[in-house]
Amino acid sequence: MTFLSPLSRTWAQRALVAALVRRELAARYRGGSLGFLWSFLNPLLLLLVYATVFRFVFAPRADVRPYALFLFGGVLVWGFVSSALLDAVETFRSNGPLLRKTTVAPEVFPAAAVGARLVHLLLALPVLGAAIVVATVRGGVVPGAALLEFPIVLALLALSVFGAALAVSALSVHFGDVRDVVANLLTLAFFVTPVLYPIEAVPERWRWLLRANPFASFFSGVHDTLFHFRPVASSDWLWMAGTAAAALAVGAALFERLRDSLAEEA
Amino acid sequence: MSGPEPAIAVAGATKIYRRYARESHGTLKSALLSRRRSTRGEGGVVALDGVSFTVAPGESLGVIGSNGSGKSTLLKLLASIVRPTRGSVAVRGRLAALLELGAGFHPEISGRENIEITGLLLGLTRKEIAARFDEVVRFAGIEEFLDAPVKTYSSGMAVRLGFAIAAHSDPDVLLVDEVLAVGDEAFAHRALEKFSEFEQAGKTLVFVSHDLGLVAERCRRAIWLDHGRLAADGPAGEVVARYRERVAAEEGERRTAGAGAGGRIGSGVASIEVVRLLDREGRPTSRLRSGEAASVEMVVRAPEAISDFVFGVQISTVSGTIVFGTNTALEGLRPERLAGDARVALEIPALDLAPGVYALDAAVHARDGAPYDYRRDVLRFEVTAERAGTGVWSPARRWSFSGGIRWKE
Repeated sequence: MTFLSPLSRTWAQRALVAALVRRELAARYRGGSLGFLWSFLNPLLLLLVYATVFRFVFAPRADVRPYALFLFGGVLVWGFVSSALLDAVETFRSNGPLLRKTTVAPEVFPAAAVGARLVHLLLALPVLGAAIVVATVRGGVVPGAALLEFPIVLALLALSVFGAALAVSALSVHFGDVRDVVANLLTLAFFVTPVLYPIEAVPERWRWLLRANPFASFFSGVHDTLFHFRPVASSDWLWMAGTAAAALAVGAALFERLRDSLAEEA
Repeated sequence: MSGPEPAIAVAGATKIYRRYARESHGTLKSALLSRRRSTRGEGGVVALDGVSFTVAPGESLGVIGSNGSGKSTLLKLLASIVRPTRGSVAVRGRLAALLELGAGFHPEISGRENIEITGLLLGLTRKEIAARFDEVVRFAGIEEFLDAPVKTYSSGMAVRLGFAIAAHSDPDVLLVDEVLAVGDEAFAHRALEKFSEFEQAGKTLVFVSHDLGLVAERCRRAIWLDHGRLAADGPAGEVVARYRERVAAEEGERRTAGAGAGGRIGSGVASIEVVRLLDREGRPTSRLRSGEAASVEMVVRAPEAISDFVFGVQISTVSGTIVFGTNTALEGLRPERLAGDARVALEIPALDLAPGVYALDAAVHARDGAPYDYRRDVLRFEVTAERAGTGVWSPARRWSFSGGIRWKE
């Protein structure tokens, strides 16, 4: 199973990955006077924009209310997916000196890119929690125990994103246009994934097409656990687990194949 | 190479870089559209070509060669940053590579945080980093700036910190690439001291430098890379001397017949034709054992008779520290007449120099110092010894003990 060795190396270097994540966060917030507060302010502002826009500008979807809350969870999680992958594309360029001059295992960089974005998402969750509380108090939703399934959905999603990050980070060293390809695919995926709308909004006969999108089950899971508070369907669990396993295997295999040339070409 | 298993074993290592490696990135689009497979194997830049050598534990190896000779590639192979195209590279034990001091530093975060990250990069655990932390900070001398972002450090501070972390990572094998070129004098001195400590602790040191003197002085052994091939492997002094000869020959600058690359000034009223170092049997040599008798012999010539002359000899380390110098005036000899060819010898009954490579200057000049013929670095010689020691002096010596001290047999 040598093609999986990027995964075992990442695990062996987890202390370094954690330190790189801390470095990334510390460096990001050190410059500004508000520091870590931005982690709360950014999603809070986003939430306020949604709440305002869908109250006064656009008519919100009638099938999912409060729509702002529905949107918020999905957009936060999607933000994690897209920013983690875009950071992974850049990671070998920004860490070039380290890669060329130290004996570091290169897997740690995409891992740290995903890890840092995951921490950002986790820091935004209190805002999401507050939004759920507000919606509950105003009688919009009734939270349930299914909320506790969200961490599992997120964990499977993070593993899938890490697999994809391994692939795009290694490819970006060899091909200059990976960033454009990834950015465009993400934009496309955003609209064919049930982030802004519930999967039920799609006509029955097209739903299989949406299901074929590996992201779809994750966002069904996000909406199930964070908005509808209903247990995730077992078919969705299967999709998520399968996607995570496939993404890790393909990403690790691709990374392993390109690994030797990373330090030469980054 | 007998004894324990080598710390480093390089066998037939060849590294070929793909030709377009850095200039033109391909695009995913073109790779997908064109049916041609990658250009791997269509030739490339041969950075290293069938290099083989081993380094014993505790040995210090200098690597010399001109730019583009493959030195940096060799270090990257040893550090397993890149893998050989063919052949094998094996390093036993923990390795620390000082390829670029402070390469891992992030400018926005503090020195404290950077120490932790760099330590982890060097393979230390967080516990080990915590245990060494104070020592690293003291060595780098950055106590007051520990919590300031590294971007506020002077370049000297960053270099010291980078060196301190690597030097305290307790490596078995230390790879050093030109790091001493960037620090100030005091730092270079401390770094060299640290290297000596490494050697005494039985660590293996691989040292790449353009400072040939330093290589000759610090390393017992050196290899010379030329266009990716191993051109020489042997005692550092000899390899450096051969390399110097080659460089001098290539540049067409061989103005003197001696082995040294030093200069020659003087009016020519008298000249030094030949300078030789003789061993205790009177044979010319470039290697001596510490403590043995030696003599410096000069053949001098004064075309016209002169009555004002002084003969002088000076021995220096190859990095320029004067070890010993004397001349006939200092020794109270008063000149009367020098005419035609003559022979001058300075006999030293016991040359108590520490092991290393030394450079010799020879001169004949007027009593007021005006040179007739001053030949700097006219020859170099290596001193070997069975017992190690620091410094330049290796006197005859013995320890004596009494009371409750015992030593293992």
